[in-house]
Amino acid sequence: MRFRWPAAALALLLAAPAPAHEVLHEVQRGRAVAVRAYESDGEALAGAAYRVFSPADPGVPFLEGRTDRSGWLAFVPDAPGPWRVQVVGADGHGLDLVVDGTAPAATGTADSGPSGAAFVLRPLAGLLAVGAVFGALFAYHRRKGGAA
Amino acid sequence: MHVPDGFLSPPITLPAYAVAAPLWAWAARRHFGRSAAESLPVVGSLTALAFVVQTIMIPVPGGTSTHLVGVVLLALLHGPLAAFAAESLVLLVQALFYGAGGVTVLGVNALAMGLAGPVVGWLAWKALRPLSARGAAFAAGWASMQAATLLVFGALALQHRLDPSYFPLPPAVTFTAMMVPSLAVTGVVEGLYTAVVLSLVRRAGFRGVEA
Repeated sequence: MRFRWPAAALALLLAAPAPAHEVLHEVQRGRAVAVRAYESDGEALAGAAYRVFSPADPGVPFLEGRTDRSGWLAFVPDAPGPWRVQVVGADGHGLDLVVDGTAPAATGTADSGPSGAAFVLRPLAGLLAVGAVFGALFAYHRRKGGAA
Repeated sequence: MHVPDGFLSPPITLPAYAVAAPLWAWAARRHFGRSAAESLPVVGSLTALAFVVQTIMIPVPGGTSTHLVGVVLLALLHGPLAAFAAESLVLLVQALFYGAGGVTVLGVNALAMGLAGPVVGWLAWKALRPLSARGAAFAAGWASMQAATLLVFGALALQHRLDPSYFPLPPAVTFTAMMVPSLAVTGVVEGLYTAVVLSLVRRAGFRGVEA
């Protein structure tokens, strides 16, 4: 009975390496760069393969994975400069863009997609561009007397 | 269906440009030149219509979406080169102003969606027209979609073989993801679109269009 407490202390000491296997964590908000991939109609590229390349080693992916069901991916830049993000849909759709990782704490957003009225105006602008090309051609040929 | 910038490397994009460039010159001279002035309003309208239908996404089971191409009509009315010129213009506008597709891959996309598809559709239409005009138009639309999709798939599969860092997905995955919707959904809708719009254009009796 005299040795019970020393034995218990010894057992605790022997168990001391256990915390070395513990995975710790750290939560920081505002450090990650989040990218959302979506089709022109707003449909998310969900579950699409993506790769992120660091400017420090552009030949080897810094991160690989699949977008979440909303089309998002996120990474935490550990080097300043242009980070390449490639999202590859199995159907050949996808994107290949460069994201500035210089100021990861910045909370600014960059959106290549339309929003609000622009969603309707973009196709109209494209129509105008196509119409302008053919209108100019037609007018040119009329002036030259090629059309009746 | 557009291949975006960054998915294909120069060993594919440059030869595609080399093939497409003389065809662009030929098509522009033949279909945008003075001798084709009479048909320009119809060609322009159908090009604009193709631009619009390519912005309309069709949901496909599995959580993705696809879209029509819509230029095989021009191949049936004015020949495949007209479709090639029109689709190339649409792709250029999309690449420059909307970030769809891209300038580096313009040659590949134009050859697939603007040439291979319309040529195959036009051949199907020529072969089947004696049997049924509407059926032939439907078949033209359906076949053109399969040909364009196959060519895009071929370019991506070749890229995976040459250098997977540009396109990492294996061909088996890409083939299934591209061809199943194309065969079952997009091709059918493209066929219906082609048959209906061709019938409407013919009935309207526009100048430069055979009744």
